[in-house]
Amino acid sequence: MTFFSIIQWVVWKDLISELRSRETLSSMLFFALIVILVFSFSFSMDQDAAQQLIAGIIWVSFAFTGIIGLGKSFTAELQNDAIEYLQMSPAPKGAIYLGKMLGNLLFMLVVEVMLFPLFVLFFNLDIVEEIGILLLIFFLATVGLSAVGTLFSALTVQVRAREVMLPVLLLPLAVPVMIAAVEATRGALNAQPFAIYSQWIELLTVFDIIFTVASFWLFELILDS
Amino acid sequence: MMNRFIRRIQRFKGWFGAISAMCIFYGLYLGLLDSPPDYYQGEVVRIMYVHVPLAHTALLAYMTLFIGSLWYLWKRDPLVDNMCQAAAGITVAFTTLALITGAIWAKPTWNTWWTWDPKLVSFAVLLLIVSGYLMLRTFVEDPDKVGRYAAVLAIVGGIDLPIIYFSAEWWRTLHQPLSISMRGVSMTGDILLPLSIMSLGFNLLFIYMLMIRTQMLYLTNLLEAKKGRLLSQIHLSQSTS
Repeated sequence: MTFFSIIQWVVWKDLISELRSRETLSSMLFFALIVILVFSFSFSMDQDAAQQLIAGIIWVSFAFTGIIGLGKSFTAELQNDAIEYLQMSPAPKGAIYLGKMLGNLLFMLVVEVMLFPLFVLFFNLDIVEEIGILLLIFFLATVGLSAVGTLFSALTVQVRAREVMLPVLLLPLAVPVMIAAVEATRGALNAQPFAIYSQWIELLTVFDIIFTVASFWLFELILDS
Repeated sequence: MMNRFIRRIQRFKGWFGAISAMCIFYGLYLGLLDSPPDYYQGEVVRIMYVHVPLAHTALLAYMTLFIGSLWYLWKRDPLVDNMCQAAAGITVAFTTLALITGAIWAKPTWNTWWTWDPKLVSFAVLLLIVSGYLMLRTFVEDPDKVGRYAAVLAIVGGIDLPIIYFSAEWWRTLHQPLSISMRGVSMTGDILLPLSIMSLGFNLLFIYMLMIRTQMLYLTNLLEAKKGRLLSQIHLSQSTS
């Protein structure tokens, strides 16, 4: 088993079990749908205000939906004590972390891509020009969320009150991701020149690199019997 | 090695407390009575002598937590873990006080209790992170894992704080130019002296509190362990007789 094949297997395992149960994706989708509906009821009367706030609304929905997915990422491993087998397996723990993180990233991105058309529909957005850059922002910000989120999902799954602890720990640390994602998304939706909001994309990239590396090393301390 | 060092320095903790109290009283006398009112802010500026040292000490406390966490992961010394837990509690106290005094100072000078200034954002997030740290410590059931998990959180938070500060700074400069400045508070000697003395006093106070709290946590854990051993002995003697 090489390092990369372990990553592959972990992702594959999560995908297979998700395709069989469809638990995580469906709960994320329904939750996000409800969030979007609530937001559109709250703001859609005032189209101008909605246009001002839309970037924030998108990222609040994505972050909360992501937390649901991240929380389920390791609770699934509690059944049949699978987490103990992960702890005992001779595989490098960093590879397990990267596999889990890629799985979470995939689920979150799938949900985001499915939901974004609804935002376009409800809030009457004009995105044809910037769709590529928007997808890049979604990708980078979601990598950041899942880099930190996967680490804390593994951590909180082994403590009491895990449903509360994951957002309590994750959201303060995700402040830079949220600020950068909202600002970059706003820039792209308002069709500003790329140079104006490119620094936020750089910030997201730096955040992703730092926290993927840090979590990769720290994961061993958390998944250690 | 660290254990011995901490024990040796613990013996002098009364001195830290006494010198800290003297510094704070002298600094308060200088700052509140002896220094001139500010040209622009008038008497309001005097809260600075409490607010700035509080903020510095809060950062010092988090630095202690961060470095202690790295240390704990490296050496796995339970005493260092106790020190981290102590530092976290004190960080919460100093950060909260810094935020409160900052708001009180902001109202007359900036005409608002709160603004999304990078320093304020970082301190608010710092408070959330350290509160989360203390919550996490209460929720981990396995005593072998508490220190490790908490240390991981403290380290991730410590890496994140500068990034939070910079992102908030960019965010701020993007939306509106900084309307806030310390207009004309030139650091003359009669301001700098009380400020440094207060800072020193609060830093020593932090060390004093850290020592007392670390010792307390250490003894609590020791007591728990002894109680456990005693109970198991009683249990054994009953089952054999």
